[in-house]
Amino acid sequence: MSKLQFYAALWAAKLSRPALKLTGHNGTNFPGELALKICPDFLRYVGKPEHTIAVTGTNGKTTVSNLLCDVLEMSGRKVLNNRFGSNIASGISTSLVNGVSIFNRSKYHVAVLEIDERSSKRIYPFIKPDYLVLTNLFRDSIMRNAHPHYIADFLTDSIPPETKLVVNADDLIASSVAPDNPRVYFGIRRMATDVTKCVNLINDNQICPKCSGELQYEYLRYHHIGKAYCPKCGFRAPEYDVEGRDVDTEHMTMTIADSGEGGDSHVYRLLSDGIFNIYNMVTAAALLRQLGMSHAEIAGYMDRTGIVETRYNVERVGNVELVMQMAKEKNALACSRAFDYVSHQPGRKELLLMMNCLGDEKHWSENVCWLYDCDFEFLASDDVFHIVATGPRARDYRLRLLLAGVPAERIDCEEDEFAAAELLRFEPGSRVYMFYGTDSLALAYKVREKVKTLGEEAAK
Amino acid sequence: MIIEILYPELCNLYGDLANAEYLARSSGAEVVRTSLHDAPRFLTEDVALVTMGGTTERGQTIVRDAFAPYLEGLVRRTDAGGVTLITGNALEIFGEYIENEDGSREAMLNLFPIHSDRHMMSRYNSLYLGKLGDMDIVGFKSQFGHSYGMNGDGLFRTVRGAGLDSSLAAEGLRRNNLMLTYLLGPLVVLNPPFAKYLLGLMGVAEPTLAFEEAAMDVYTHRLEQFSQPERGFLY
Repeated sequence: MSKLQFYAALWAAKLSRPALKLTGHNGTNFPGELALKICPDFLRYVGKPEHTIAVTGTNGKTTVSNLLCDVLEMSGRKVLNNRFGSNIASGISTSLVNGVSIFNRSKYHVAVLEIDERSSKRIYPFIKPDYLVLTNLFRDSIMRNAHPHYIADFLTDSIPPETKLVVNADDLIASSVAPDNPRVYFGIRRMATDVTKCVNLINDNQICPKCSGELQYEYLRYHHIGKAYCPKCGFRAPEYDVEGRDVDTEHMTMTIADSGEGGDSHVYRLLSDGIFNIYNMVTAAALLRQLGMSHAEIAGYMDRTGIVETRYNVERVGNVELVMQMAKEKNALACSRAFDYVSHQPGRKELLLMMNCLGDEKHWSENVCWLYDCDFEFLASDDVFHIVATGPRARDYRLRLLLAGVPAERIDCEEDEFAAAELLRFEPGSRVYMFYGTDSLALAYKVREKVKTLGEEAAK
Repeated sequence: MIIEILYPELCNLYGDLANAEYLARSSGAEVVRTSLHDAPRFLTEDVALVTMGGTTERGQTIVRDAFAPYLEGLVRRTDAGGVTLITGNALEIFGEYIENEDGSREAMLNLFPIHSDRHMMSRYNSLYLGKLGDMDIVGFKSQFGHSYGMNGDGLFRTVRGAGLDSSLAAEGLRRNNLMLTYLLGPLVVLNPPFAKYLLGLMGVAEPTLAFEEAAMDVYTHRLEQFSQPERGFLY
């Protein structure tokens, strides 16, 4: 690899940006793709900020990355991130291209990079993060990710030995990753809503990693997330270094503290009452403590941030409230959490389910087995008075909803998403939830416009 | 009537537990779940159907060890006509061995003269269209390898997609009413005719399925889609 080849890649990638703008092409990853094509080791040589923080895990990595960026920027640091690019090698390369001068000098203090778990082997040989934040590991796309233990092994094989992990102690699969690396554990103490037996269809950590005995839980939050122990051999989940406690969703507060007596702590305002986002806050705080910020500072900055609008958004439409609820397609856990959250919201609800993988539909056909890992049972509640299943897999949703105990008269099934919007009833005082995934994001926003028009008309 | 799910704490990937649950919903059968540390109920009780679903690679080894003492019992059950459905990579547990990428081999239960390979960096994903007699079968494959060495008809005859290995027309394994297949779906839910076939083997006269109209609607639509010549079959 010659210096010339690297600089050719860097300058070509930099020049491609104005060229793309001029020609009206919106290829967010193109500069990085080009750089990697010209110089396959581009990530090794490109200039990086003094510190690098990687954020990975099945769920929450975008929200945690955004929180970290926002807080670090508010604290006066110049933060390089891949917020507007992808989380694979080409997206990371694009961000780094943007982050250096033409002489390859980084213009930033710190990089916060969201990294796709499956891209680890292409990224970590060249980028050695000071910290790697691991939010959780759950079942995700069966085609790419198989099962969470596979991803755990994959990460263990890829993460540089010097990288310090900031990892979820309430997730035994995540906390098993890279066991020889230095680490900080975070978690959330018992919450009022915790149970001790799993109520979800999937729990990917039911047996002790040491003796294969049946694991028990001091408290279990959802799926395999909780405080596990093995009564047979005495194995226990790791203790927390940074912990959330006294979570109060009524007053929207939580204390985040360093574990142990006299440790720093502060009361934080909750950014959302959803458990995923409560974890996201604790995760971000655990990392920021490593950078020397006090809990009071972190809480102050976090108070001025918000959860990205594409994930959860409420607006008034006619006589109803319209809620955009992201629930990643082919991700049983993300959908289960979203269904659980919505089922616990007060009032009557009407749902439009459109978490279809539209890309799959073009190329082959979506593998639907994830629907049978997903807790559609949360929707079998009288509050949920109407569900419209739509998109290429509308029929599959209908069958799954019936098997989950949703009465047939509450289900409508319409393949066309815009026609499906016309089936909504807009019952005054109710909430209309649109469930969509990353693949159907653009379509969801178009359908939302139609839903808004219909909702306004229904109110006249 | 009893349907027994073997080792659900490990053999629970990709919705496969729904196979047993759907047949139970359609027949009124009781579902019993047997854990790794218990003896299977089929050894001592009249069990209409035994199922086992896919698991992790570590899980395959744990299940092999847990089930080894009961293999003879499964053979006796099978020879007596008992119905058993093994899905996903649980199939590989009943072959001779699994070979890893580095050439190392892990011995399995050796009930069938097949062996499997495991390529952890190369996952195979495909749609599947096949036949059982005149019955159309649809499903999915998502696995780290294939199985080799099989001579015979297997369980299904492949129309599109891969058989037990990509060169074979036969998919799955069959010995009397012991059926093993890589197919995911869940297979039974996605194939109402196959669900009825199984219920018939279990002794249910003129079976009807839970939400049969909705299940047939899904099946008919998928069958039509998978039969389209232009439909891509590989992910």
